[in-house]
Amino acid sequence: MNPRDKVAKRFDFIDVTLRDAHQCLWSTRMTTAMMTPILGAIDRAGYAYINILGGAVFDVCVRYLQENPWERIGLLCDHLDTPCDALTRAQSLYTFELFPDDIVTLNSHALARRGIKVLTVYDALNDNRNIESSLRSGHEAGMKVNAMMTYTLSPVHTDAYYVERTRELVALAADFISIKDPTGLLTPERGRTLFPAVVLAAGGIPLQLHSHCQSALAPEVYEIAIKSGFRFGYTATEPLANGASLPATEDIVARARRLGFDTSINDDVLAEVASYFHWVSVREGKPRGAVATYSADLYEHQIPGGMISNLRSQLDTMKLAHRLPEILKEVARVRHDLGYPILVSPFAQYIVTQATINVVQGERYKTIPDEVRKYARGYYGRLAAQPSDEFLERANIDPTEYVTEAPAAHLAPAIPRLRAELGSAATDEDLLLAAFYDRKLIEPLRNPASECRFRTTPLTELVGFLAARSDIDYARVRFAGTDMTLST
Amino acid sequence: MAHEQLTYEDLLRIVELIKSTEHFSEFRLKVGDIELELRRRRAGGTPVPALPWSVVHGVEAQPVADQATSARPCAQWPEDGIVIRSPMIGTFYRAPAPGAAAFVEVGQTVEPDTTVCIIEVMKLMNSIPADAHGTVMQVLVEDGATIEQAQPLIVLQPIRTA
Repeated sequence: MNPRDKVAKRFDFIDVTLRDAHQCLWSTRMTTAMMTPILGAIDRAGYAYINILGGAVFDVCVRYLQENPWERIGLLCDHLDTPCDALTRAQSLYTFELFPDDIVTLNSHALARRGIKVLTVYDALNDNRNIESSLRSGHEAGMKVNAMMTYTLSPVHTDAYYVERTRELVALAADFISIKDPTGLLTPERGRTLFPAVVLAAGGIPLQLHSHCQSALAPEVYEIAIKSGFRFGYTATEPLANGASLPATEDIVARARRLGFDTSINDDVLAEVASYFHWVSVREGKPRGAVATYSADLYEHQIPGGMISNLRSQLDTMKLAHRLPEILKEVARVRHDLGYPILVSPFAQYIVTQATINVVQGERYKTIPDEVRKYARGYYGRLAAQPSDEFLERANIDPTEYVTEAPAAHLAPAIPRLRAELGSAATDEDLLLAAFYDRKLIEPLRNPASECRFRTTPLTELVGFLAARSDIDYARVRFAGTDMTLST
Repeated sequence: MAHEQLTYEDLLRIVELIKSTEHFSEFRLKVGDIELELRRRRAGGTPVPALPWSVVHGVEAQPVADQATSARPCAQWPEDGIVIRSPMIGTFYRAPAPGAAAFVEVGQTVEPDTTVCIIEVMKLMNSIPADAHGTVMQVLVEDGATIEQAQPLIVLQPIRTA
C-alpha cells in the first residue's frame, strides 16, 4: 500500500516572490526596503518555505543595489518565522566561476549562521559531483539540503537520464529533490512519464517542482506533479507570477484543492500580499507578470525569459537588435553542437554569446570564448553529450587538456590566501565577499543600509506618493479622522 | 471606496486619477471617507528643468564624439603588415588580469597560437591568437577601451619562414 494513502493528501508551497519572481520580471531589482513592509503577511500566508536567495540576488545586491547580501539574508531570516531557503549554483555559488571546496563550505556555514534552514543547490550540467561539497557542508551546518536537477529537452535528457540523476541524489542523502525547469519547457505529457519515474526513484525523499510559465503550460504541469506525488511547488504572488516567472500561488492552490489536496495557504493573506506587490509595481514603474502565449520557437532556442530581455538590451547597445531572430536560430544550433548544455546560468550566457559571435562574424566558431572552451574540455563538469565534429575541429583542443576529475579537485584551497590578505579581523562573510568580488565592488557595501519600514498602509503609501511628486506643491488628505496638509 | 480602511485597490485608483489629470492645476476628490485636494505648479510658472535639445547636443554629445575620434588615431602601417582585428564589439584587454604584464609588447615575436589580447564580449572572455608568425609593430588600442567589430587592434610585421 502506498504510504501516502494513510495520511491526508497534502501539497505545500515554497514562495519565490522575494527571489526568482523579481529575478525574472524585474531584473532582480527588488530592494530589501520593498520587501520588509510585507514580510509579516508573507510569514502568515502558510508557505512551507520562503526562498530568499539565489545566485542573481546575491550578485545584483553587490553589483547594482549596493546592499550587503549577508545583511539582507539576516534581516529576512530574523523577521520570518517560516523557514527560509537559499539557493546556490553549487560549486559556483553566486557567480559563474568555480570555487574550491573550502569556500563552498565556509559559505554554507555563513548562510546557516544568518538563519537559513534549507540550502538548495543545483549544478548547471547536472554533474552531481559538483554538489557534493554543498550537501556535506550544508548538513554539517545543520541545514536541510534540497538538490535540484535541471530539466531540458534534448535527445540525451531522457526520463532514464533523470532517474539516474535521482539515484545519485538519493545516494548523496539529499533531504529534498527538485526538478528545476528554468525555461518552462515541461509539458503535461512529459510530466506524466517523467514525474512518476522520478518519484519512484527518489524512494520517499519528498519532491519539489520549480517551473516557469514561458510556455504557459506550467500550471497544468504542476497539476501532473501534484497527482504524481510531488510534495511541494515553487510559486509566486500573483502580480509577480506568470510570463517568465513561476505560476501564481493563488492558481496552484486552487488546482491542488480541486484535486483533493490540503494546503496550509490562507487566501486572505495571499490577497493582502498580492495587492501590496501590485501597488509596489506601479509605484516603482516595474512590470507585472502576464500570462504568456504558447510559442513553438521556445522549444528550439530554450532561452529563459529573463535572459531574452537581457539579450535584447545587450543587442540594442551593440546596434544588433535586428539580428535577434538569426541569433535565436543559431542558439539552437550551438546548443546542439556543444552537446546540449542547459540554458541556465552560466551556460545560457555562454551559448548565447557564442551564437551572437557566430552570427556577427559570419563564420561559425572562428572565435570561441575561453569559457566555452573550458566547458568543452570538461573543466566545469561532465558534458551531457559529445560536442559536434564541426565545433571540435574549430576548437582544436589538445587531448591533454581534457579534464575528467571532479571540477573542485583541480582547485587549491582559497581561505589561507584570503585570510593572509584580509587579516584576522575579517569575518567569514568578508572573506567570502572577497573570494567572489573585486575590492572596489565590496567597498560600497560598508555604507549604512537604507532604512526599512516593517509596516505600511495604503494611506501611508498615498502620502509618500504625493510627497515624492515634484509637480505638486499643495496637498491635503482627509481620511477617517486623519487630516493632513503638505505644502511647499 | 467607503471602507473603514483605505485599501491598495483604492490607492491604485486614486493614483491613476492623479496621473491621468496631470494637465490640470487643481485636483479635488471626495469618495466615501476620503477627501483629497491637490494643487500643481502652473504650467510655465516655473522653468522646465530639462535642458533644451540643442544644449544637450552642443555640450554633452560633443566631447563623446571627440573621444571616439581620438581613440582611433589615423594609424598607418606598412602594406605587408598583418592587422589583427576585433571579432566583435566588446572591450579590449592587453593583459590577463588588472596589473598583470601585457600579453605582448611592441617588438616581441609571436607565433600563430600566441594570445595577443582578450576581447570581452557579453561578459565572456575571448583570447585572441596572433594567427600568424610575426613581430608586434603597433598596438592601436588602449587597455580597457570599447572597440567596434573588425576594428584594427594590433599590427604585426610578418616573419617569413623559409
